Amino acid sequence: MNGHVHTLLCPNNMNLTKPIVIIAVLLLLISGCRNNSKRQIRLAVNVGVEGEALKQAALDYEAQTGIHVNIAAFPYANLFEKEQLDFNARTGAYDLVMLDDPWFPRFAAKQFLADLTPLLQKRGQNQPDSDFVANSIALCRHPYQTGTLFALPYVGNSQLFFYRKDLFEKHKLPEPSKWDDVLSSAKKIQEAENAAGNKIYGYVMRAAQGNAAVADFMPIFWAFGGEMFDSNGRPTVNSREGVEALKFMLELGKVSPPGYASFNADEVGAHLLQGTAAMSINWPAWISPFDDPAKSKVIGKMAFTVLPGAQKPGQAEIGNWLIAIPKDSKNVDAAMDFLIWATSAEQMRLSAQRGNPPTRISIFKDAELISKYPAYPAQLHSLETSRPRPRTAQWNEIENAFGIFLSKANSGELTAEDAMNQANAEIDKIIQRQ
Amino acid sequence: MQKLTRSFNASSRDLLFATLLVTPALAVLVSLSIYPLLYSIQIALQTDGPAGPTWSFANFSRLAGDNFFLAAMAHTFIYSAFALTFEFVLGFALALILNSTIRGQRVFRAAFLIPMMIPPVVVGVVWRLMLNPNFGAVNGVLRQLGINTEQLTWTASPRLALAAVIAVDVWQWTPFVFLVLLAGLQAIPQEPYEAARVDGSNAWQTFRHVTLPLLKPAILIVLLLRTMDLLRVFDQIFILTEGGPGFATETVSLYIYRAAFRFSDFGYAAAMSFVLLIITNLISAIYIRLLQSREGVA
Repeated sequence: MNGHVHTLLCPNNMNLTKPIVIIAVLLLLISGCRNNSKRQIRLAVNVGVEGEALKQAALDYEAQTGIHVNIAAFPYANLFEKEQLDFNARTGAYDLVMLDDPWFPRFAAKQFLADLTPLLQKRGQNQPDSDFVANSIALCRHPYQTGTLFALPYVGNSQLFFYRKDLFEKHKLPEPSKWDDVLSSAKKIQEAENAAGNKIYGYVMRAAQGNAAVADFMPIFWAFGGEMFDSNGRPTVNSREGVEALKFMLELGKVSPPGYASFNADEVGAHLLQGTAAMSINWPAWISPFDDPAKSKVIGKMAFTVLPGAQKPGQAEIGNWLIAIPKDSKNVDAAMDFLIWATSAEQMRLSAQRGNPPTRISIFKDAELISKYPAYPAQLHSLETSRPRPRTAQWNEIENAFGIFLSKANSGELTAEDAMNQANAEIDKIIQRQ
Repeated sequence: MQKLTRSFNASSRDLLFATLLVTPALAVLVSLSIYPLLYSIQIALQTDGPAGPTWSFANFSRLAGDNFFLAAMAHTFIYSAFALTFEFVLGFALALILNSTIRGQRVFRAAFLIPMMIPPVVVGVVWRLMLNPNFGAVNGVLRQLGINTEQLTWTASPRLALAAVIAVDVWQWTPFVFLVLLAGLQAIPQEPYEAARVDGSNAWQTFRHVTLPLLKPAILIVLLLRTMDLLRVFDQIFILTEGGPGFATETVSLYIYRAAFRFSDFGYAAAMSFVLLIITNLISAIYIRLLQSREGVA
């Protein structure tokens, strides 16, 4: 009986060579998968509108050159995590990475990215050509504007002011150019429309903690004369100007849909597309859905302009997507060839036709494209007068803390003064820790 | 004799073969469990200095002065305590009702299990839509009933947000409590009940002295599992509120995630994880002790 079981489990004719051979073959197969073909580059992009044009371009590149571009697409938050983990572990998993500009100071300060200047020089160029918008190129240098070039700008996003021109005409209101006008127009529209039985809010904004609240607050903060840091790098968000700006945001909140303190881009987009809000700060990627009959109830009714001012001229927050080459990439030269090709005027024109906001002046001024995208002059103006978020490697932590207190003020948990004082203290803690 | 040698050879060959078969599992265990655990202890006890990482308790001492961490800890406890209480009471009541022979009990039993089978992320998305103050189903129904929903912003209200995420947890996990306790109830033999009837005990006495003591193992399991799950809750809250509005629903797990993956502060995140692990272990130990000792008295 025992012998019978034994023959079943390990028959006499079977010796140990068989499993060993199987394992060896498996190992060979695994290592065989790692064949390092030279004609392949790996690219990490964002899922969604910002990454779509670059993905398309990558397919064109493959068709033209035969070089296979391996695309790894991740949602916004995951993209940062993947890149950060890859850079930390120095695996060189990607030859090119798409990155949101506030991430750039961290990656550049940690020396994760390849210096592009020698690679440009190798190709007969001393620096990126002057057709790029200066504010966009400034983001690609570390330190800001003056330092080493570690990336090239691809998606030329900066905020615009969206408003319902039909409602402004109907109620005979001036184009919004000052924040005070925005507030008074928002009140007038909301009162008049509600009286006529239309559920329309005067304004809508994102005040969910984190990126959303900060992005929608910064243009107000700057226009009111607020500054995040003084010349010594200490936080000054609780200055008189800062508190006034937040108080103004809370006033705007009174003409925004209830619950806006947890709104993100989707909720704001839904209100605008449904025609239930009259004004908002938003990004260029949200322009095209307004012409889509399947999504929009306000076709032809939206106008896009530069941000309103107050004590100071209006300034948009810039939010470009950059492309960089990780220092540990094993195909730096092939990656640079692709990067130059993708950011060339010719390719950027093509990607603009696919909906990508360009970073080159000549594309913004292209008559054919302007007829397709009437907001281009406003977009260029916004971009050229835009401001970046503070260029610090700790921006993620600072934005998180700042956003929490902005959201708390907007949800009614804290007064403007308390929110700014507590935000200032937390931001100071983050700075001191460094 | 010959047979003996053969069997000896065979057993040594068996041993070798068995070792060979176990090795991959062992390698996976070491590389995926033991090594990361040791590594996380190391990074929790190291901080980056100008001259590379240095050993210190700085990550742990920083926790005491971190208002965000302390608030997240408080939210985690409130969340766990309320969710556990509601889930246990409701789940127990449901189990008792559906253990009796009422009409259509099989349909009810199946229906109550549905929420548990939905992935937490999907639950988060569904409830996020349902709780939307303007377009959501919850306020839609309330408006139909003539209730003014202007102030009922649920996940956007600092007063309602935590209650809303707790309610979603109760909705999803009460069925689990119900399922385990129902199985426990059905495993109780009929004899003690018959004996109680003969002794003339009333319904409450039967419940108190027969059902409860015999159900104790199931109660222990369900409380333990739910407590451990609640203390590390992440997915639904992440989808529903991402910790907001402000910081109102941020739990320790969310804050750990932020520290690790948004701020790249892996040492600090590891330190927080160990604190959460120790607290979870302590609470679990208290449970087991409490229930065991009561069993001893009874």
